[in-house]
Amino acid sequence: MSLLEVSVWEPFGEKHLLCVKPDVRVAERIHKKSAEYEERRYSEIGWYRDSHRPLFYDRRTVFFYFTGNLLQDKLDLERRIVMKDKIESILSEVKTRIAAASSENELQNVKSAYVGKQGSLSLLMKELPKLDVSLRPEMGKLLNQAKNEVTELIDAKRLELKLKASEVSPDFDCSVPGIMPQKGGLHPITQMCYDLNDAFRSMGFEIFQEDDITSELYAFDKLNFPPNHPARESMDTYWLEGHDSGSTNEKLCLRPHLTGGSVRYMQTHKPPYRFVYPGRVYRNETTDAHHERAFFQYEALIVDKDITFTSGKVMINSILSKVFGTDVPVRMRSGFFPFVEPGFEIDMQCQVCGGKGCSVCKHVGWIEVMPGGSPHPNVLRAAGLDPDEYTGFYVNIGLDRLVMMRYGVDDVRLFHSADLRFLKQFR
Amino acid sequence: MKLSLSWIKDYVQIPEDMDLKKLAYDLTMSTVEVEDVEYLARRFDNVLVGVIEKIEPHPNADKLRVCKVDIGGGEIKDIVCGGINLKEGMRVAVSCPGAVVRWHGEGEPVVIKNSKLRGVESYGMICASDEIGLGELFPASQEAEILDLSAFEVPAGTSLADALDMNDVLLEIDNKSMTNRPDLWGHYGIAREIAALYDLPLKKIEPYTADVQSDFKVEINDPDRCTRYIGVEMSGVEVKPSPYQMQNRIWKAGMRPINALVDITNYVMLATGNPTHAFDADNITDHIVVRHAVEGEKLILLNDHELTLCADDLVITDSEGPVALAGVMGGAKDSILPKTRRVILEVANFESTGIRRTALRYDTRTEASSRYEKAVDPERCEQALALSMQYFQELYPELTVTGFCDKYVKKLERAQIDVSLAWLAKRLGKNLSNEVIQKKLELLGFDVEISGDNMHVTAPTWRSTGDISIKDDVMEEVARLYGYDNFEATSFTTTFEGAINQKDQDLLRRIKEYLAIRCGMQEVYTYPWMNDVFVNAVLQSTQGVLRLSTPPAPDLSYIRSSLLPNLCEAVVKNERYFNDFAIFEEAQVFFDRNYTAAYDETELLPEQKRHIGAAFASSVKDITELFREAKGVLEYMPRYTHMEGFEFRKEEKPVWADNVVWMNIFHGDEKIGDMGLVAKKVSMDCGIKNLSVMLFELDVTKLVPLKSRTNRFTHLAEYPETDYDISMLFDSDAAWADIYDAIMGQKKASALLKDAAFVDEYRGKQIPAGKKSVTIRLTIGSSEKTLTSQEIESAANQVMKKLGKKMGAELRTQ
Repeated sequence: MSLLEVSVWEPFGEKHLLCVKPDVRVAERIHKKSAEYEERRYSEIGWYRDSHRPLFYDRRTVFFYFTGNLLQDKLDLERRIVMKDKIESILSEVKTRIAAASSENELQNVKSAYVGKQGSLSLLMKELPKLDVSLRPEMGKLLNQAKNEVTELIDAKRLELKLKASEVSPDFDCSVPGIMPQKGGLHPITQMCYDLNDAFRSMGFEIFQEDDITSELYAFDKLNFPPNHPARESMDTYWLEGHDSGSTNEKLCLRPHLTGGSVRYMQTHKPPYRFVYPGRVYRNETTDAHHERAFFQYEALIVDKDITFTSGKVMINSILSKVFGTDVPVRMRSGFFPFVEPGFEIDMQCQVCGGKGCSVCKHVGWIEVMPGGSPHPNVLRAAGLDPDEYTGFYVNIGLDRLVMMRYGVDDVRLFHSADLRFLKQFR
Repeated sequence: MKLSLSWIKDYVQIPEDMDLKKLAYDLTMSTVEVEDVEYLARRFDNVLVGVIEKIEPHPNADKLRVCKVDIGGGEIKDIVCGGINLKEGMRVAVSCPGAVVRWHGEGEPVVIKNSKLRGVESYGMICASDEIGLGELFPASQEAEILDLSAFEVPAGTSLADALDMNDVLLEIDNKSMTNRPDLWGHYGIAREIAALYDLPLKKIEPYTADVQSDFKVEINDPDRCTRYIGVEMSGVEVKPSPYQMQNRIWKAGMRPINALVDITNYVMLATGNPTHAFDADNITDHIVVRHAVEGEKLILLNDHELTLCADDLVITDSEGPVALAGVMGGAKDSILPKTRRVILEVANFESTGIRRTALRYDTRTEASSRYEKAVDPERCEQALALSMQYFQELYPELTVTGFCDKYVKKLERAQIDVSLAWLAKRLGKNLSNEVIQKKLELLGFDVEISGDNMHVTAPTWRSTGDISIKDDVMEEVARLYGYDNFEATSFTTTFEGAINQKDQDLLRRIKEYLAIRCGMQEVYTYPWMNDVFVNAVLQSTQGVLRLSTPPAPDLSYIRSSLLPNLCEAVVKNERYFNDFAIFEEAQVFFDRNYTAAYDETELLPEQKRHIGAAFASSVKDITELFREAKGVLEYMPRYTHMEGFEFRKEEKPVWADNVVWMNIFHGDEKIGDMGLVAKKVSMDCGIKNLSVMLFELDVTKLVPLKSRTNRFTHLAEYPETDYDISMLFDSDAAWADIYDAIMGQKKASALLKDAAFVDEYRGKQIPAGKKSVTIRLTIGSSEKTLTSQEIESAANQVMKKLGKKMGAELRTQ
């Protein structure tokens, strides 16, 4: 048998080696032939023989050892070269296998095949004692280096594989849709309202809420509407049955606007005032894509002693920058509403064309977004304030319209439709 | 309102190089909203006046002709035309290739191209008046009549715009933006405003002075309703067309020319804003009386509508009865007819609100009434009279004024206002010099006297009908004339008096966010009115429910006392598209009771509350699941929204609820809401097909927010706790609340018990009839040591023993 055959010699499988004696006898037989070469090894064999340890590892080492020595008869001078060649060939083989390894399993196989207990480098290590004493330090060092190198390469490859690795097979489909966390949501107008509340709260405004049913007294009289103002007529206001005649304090309606409620706030609070007032209002109108019978207004009012009419621009800018996320150019132009003096129509630059003019803004570059102005002295008086002392600024913005602009909604009636197909879009 | 710039220029000298965009912008910013600036001539681009040289038959069509038309520049073109009034030598409007027309005055505009008509090449088209938008100015007397321009003596090739005086600019003004400015309703008013804005010279209209002596008289019965009435009786007039320039301007302003007598009155109204009227004098018996109508009196209007008048209406009468509805419309009897030779011109002033009431009462809004109802000043009658007489005399050189009467019974006082200059500066946020302020006001026609801090302002008559009445009005005038763009935004200062703490507001928002974001429900909005179908199905009574007197529809008259009917309607609407959804709404509900005066002692308002209602609808979940979903939302609400908790008890079944599945919700002893399954009958009445629906409704105003969060920290268990499930058989009607109470109530079954939780219950095959199996998860642990399995089992056994004793429960063996 040759040296190379030894390393792959299979009859040393575990089953066969469980039978101790015959193998020791084989070893002894081989030893007798070569006893003259090495006294010390003999004694070692003796140790094995005497101890009768039936272990696979020991058996095999014994045998290996003798095999090597038998051949040393002829190969003594080439021993060193052969050992070096073997190490190198193993190293190059192991490097190729490590490079090719694509999984932790393969890598584990490589490890046990070369540096494991039965690995080829470990087996070579056991051959060392067969070598001439002068050769052992050098060869031992080489072998250890080789073993270390293999271990390092395997560790490096292992890290590399870990970085590339996944828990799942590569055909995992990441394009399948996720699972929605919750399917609910607030109405888009509520969302807008809360956005604005947050902005105004940060500026020290209170939030005011009031009842939907009011009287003509508060809806009109206290707001300086002349007795025959068209808005009072039933065609514009929803009067309540049984409360639709008599003096104005007896006539009740669904509020046509919020401003009357502002008077209530002022009556029950001490100036200065800084509050916002969101709420739903009602107009007896024919509905279409741009007209609704119930819609949301958002009123903001500030009343104090030294306020100029231009203070309102700050409120307007706050609203629009909150809604559109950027500063929107605004202009205030002359407008008339009974409850303000002076009154303004407040326009914002058309966000579709950037003010150049397009079909959305009817080619003027501006879009009317809200009325505003200083509360009329009669309104302040109705609230119990001295208009010579106090003044303020008010804006009233239609939330429906603002939400429509924010999302491009083209039919105002959708807001009250309770249609989930529509509402689902605003989460 | 449409205004002709060339007409405005009659009264104010606008520089030729004035940028019209800027004019429109300045008017919009300072006065009224200019919605559109239209260069009128552009409508007639590529439309020329051509002269028909020769008319030849069309080889392939009987109704068509081939005209040889001189279109100027020595060019004669063949144009195929089907007009019935074609004549050689006739001047016609030719739409050359590139012009825009409407076929027969209808449909979408079309761009003219060279084309073949029945095999004959035609260069453009000879137009009828309505094909180029002139149907109202040149009405055709019959079908297929070509616009005959022979009266306009211009050479062939003249552009139509030049020939017809269409090189003008039309300003379209938003009527809404000038309801408070009666002085602007007319070309002269806008001219006056432009003169003020740019400090330009304004032409004065010289007053007319009558020099007749006659017994023509006018009587006014109610000086509050008719403050002035000028009547001018004239002879020597006749019905004929007015001059083209007058017709042209009336048309540009959006009205239709009719005949010279009517056109003069309309023209004067469009110029001054003061309506005028002409009666056929031969049909007026005796003299004119302005009085209230007698109740039940009849009047046939110009438009042939017969009115039965009431005492609030003001009428112009002669001795025989009403001849016109004052300030609104003339009567049929005394209108201008072809035979008219004598007229009475009316230049009057009527009080605004009365006109408005009458116009509304008979649904008759006219050009006149819409002006009077803005409150015209009576001084303006002078201008209207002067202009009227100027045109009458121009158009009828033979005219004789046979009677004149100016009854000015209630003189207009000019508004006087004192303004503190310091106040003005404070409100403007800018110190303007006295000179600037005075100059701006004077430009607008105000008289200004300044002494010390006081500025005494006298408004012009045309601004004294209510428009200018307080110092804030004066401030507005100064600010707008100075230019709103010239005032910088000034920020307001904030004084912090502590954080804003609005617990109720915060709670409401937390509840809505809890429902939407944590519970996965969708917020919806519905109208405050309810459909009768759902009122009947869900509420089953309208006792105490308020109604609208003019509802959006007859079956939408009740306004909600509960959110549930509309939520059921929302469920029905969505059933088509969804089989499992949950919605909620927050809104006010109203009750016809408990009227209280909260703000003004005379104002009694009904009870109004704020509710939150919800509907859980599903055809895929069973009732138990749906019930537990809805109940879970309610049970966890107080904890997640930081409010005082509420309890569920069964006291009074909601009318809409199933006989078994319902609970009332209590805060302390007060009932604040209901929950339950919609009964099958109710569900069917609503039109719900396959969905099971759980509802709840809560009175938000009864919910009490906590001052702060109250959940407390509990130490983490030092020794492990064990979950131990037991399944036991109970009587089928055993309530979990009782089971829980037996385990965890005052005398706990075992000291080692930390908690007991419901896992599920089961009735079915392996369970004996009349029984149910309930699985309970016990949490067992000790704060002193780790329990052995024997100790844990013994605690569980104690529980089972107790349940056996108290509730007759048996361990489930299968």
